[in-house]
Amino acid sequence: MYNWGQYVPGNSIIHRLDPRIKILSVIVLSVFILKVGVNAGLLLSVFMMAVIFMSRLTFQRVITSLRPFIIFFILLFLLHVLFTAGTPIVRFSFCGLSITHEGLYRGLYITWQFMFLVTGASILTMTTVPSDLISGIEGILKPLRPLGVPTHDIAIMLSLALRFVPTFLGEIDRIKKAQMARGANFKKGKMIKKIKNITSLALPIVLSSFRRAEETATAMEGRGYKRGPRTCLRNLRMSSADYIALVLMVAMMTGIQLMAL
Amino acid sequence: MIKVENVTFRYDHSGEPALNRINMTIDKGEYIGIVGPNGCGKTTLVQHFNALLYPEDGRVSVDGMNTDDESCVEEIRRRVGMVFQNPDNQIVGMTVEEDIAFGPGNLELPSPEIRQRVDESLARVGLKNHAERQPYTLSGGEKRLVSIAGVLAMKPEYIIFDEPTSYLDPSGRDRILSLIEEINKQGIAIIHITHNMDEIVNAGRVVVMDEGRVVLTGSPKEVFGKVEQMKALKLDIPVVTDLAWRLKQRGEDIRTDILTIDEACLEILDRLKSPHAS
Ligand SMILES: Nc1ncnc2c1ncn2[C@@H]1O[C@H](COP(=O)(O)OP(=O)(O)O)[C@@H](O)[C@H]1O
Ligand SMILES: [Mg+2]
Repeated sequence: MYNWGQYVPGNSIIHRLDPRIKILSVIVLSVFILKVGVNAGLLLSVFMMAVIFMSRLTFQRVITSLRPFIIFFILLFLLHVLFTAGTPIVRFSFCGLSITHEGLYRGLYITWQFMFLVTGASILTMTTVPSDLISGIEGILKPLRPLGVPTHDIAIMLSLALRFVPTFLGEIDRIKKAQMARGANFKKGKMIKKIKNITSLALPIVLSSFRRAEETATAMEGRGYKRGPRTCLRNLRMSSADYIALVLMVAMMTGIQLMAL
Repeated sequence: MIKVENVTFRYDHSGEPALNRINMTIDKGEYIGIVGPNGCGKTTLVQHFNALLYPEDGRVSVDGMNTDDESCVEEIRRRVGMVFQNPDNQIVGMTVEEDIAFGPGNLELPSPEIRQRVDESLARVGLKNHAERQPYTLSGGEKRLVSIAGVLAMKPEYIIFDEPTSYLDPSGRDRILSLIEEINKQGIAIIHITHNMDEIVNAGRVVVMDEGRVVLTGSPKEVFGKVEQMKALKLDIPVVTDLAWRLKQRGEDIRTDILTIDEACLEILDRLKSPHAS
């Protein structure tokens, strides 16, 4: 549970980069990998490898973070392999489908693109403390503040959500055990019975989270929370490494764009 | 000074009042215990002290600021800190230090000052080495300490503890109780709600509530000495006081305003030495 892209403590250059730079880079890389051709795609992949290397994350760790998405990757691949028109390699006469050159190529390429997206996102979350991630998002949204975007409130909302995920999972577990102690079975039995059991799980969980939310809201108010401006423990500060990373990203993207790779 | 004048409060307008014409004052630096059966309105009352609830009738003021006055609410909430009954729902930060920074952040203090207050508060509750831990990895006692540190970081004048020892094991309890006493020694007023009378035998004053009213108030000796009245309210009294009372019931002529084991020791020794005392 709760493992994909979990923060891996470290002190590499990637860990220390400003979260705003990291988030923007992941967004830009994601947009580029989806729109550029194979050559630029390969170049970006090499770049990603370099980033993994610099972050001192083991490749095994990065691969593990792809695991929850494997079914999705396989489906994506099969869909393109089987449903792209072109020169057939193998033909399945019984259903009229065939594997084509073009399909194989597209399948591989698109799966590769999505693996790149997931890898980028998980490197971001594995090298950034969750709270920095949120300050990063808040920082990026900051220019929208004059337009009335409540950036402080968004940040508080996100951090509350992350704060309560483990609590919530613990709660589900607790209620499940309580119901099992009273004879409910969530694994075996008829479908109808199982669905009934799961519904009986949902109600107490919803009720208890409402109660919890109310208490938390009261506590926040008691601690002086009000909507609008507030200050934080840490302020984001761009260092020279951040400026170098920024220049590097801009240079690389401009290069790819100009050469139309 | 927190001043409660003739306060009445109802959660729903037709029903029974949760607070019924309450009057009380709490001085700077005082240590006051509030006891009473479940549902008698203790939590409801203390939530009036920091403007989380407003009286339907009557008024509450903190150091002269009325809680009804919108412009004072922020300052009232800084001065009157509250440690809620369930610390799990009070902790809102993703890490311990960020949680403690939540209150000072709401005061819009500059980051270096927040950092200083966070470090100070962590040291005061003895959690210096846990600054970066995530709340869900903490024990119940540690969570409670974090919520206390979060309140201390506001530099309050009064702190309300709503059943601060519930869900704790004996060692966690002792740690919290001695911390509360320490905080009081530094001049911060304590309002301590509890079901365990032994926890407040050293309080300056005890207030007993029942069905939304204050039914008894006085020093711990005065209040716990009224054993019959406490028992009628189905409230516990300190174990030693109960012992003395039962001895008295059996015809022994003994004081019933004994609250602690130390006092009981002295009384017993006294009797052993001079058997004719009575
Ligand atoms: N949020 C609420 N909504 C409605 N009624 C409430 C609420 N909180 C408390 N009450 C009722 O008000 C009365 C006093 O409750 P409370 O102050 O929590 O008592 P205590 O803290 O002494 O156990 C109880 O009868 C309780 O049921
Ligand atoms: Mg209560």
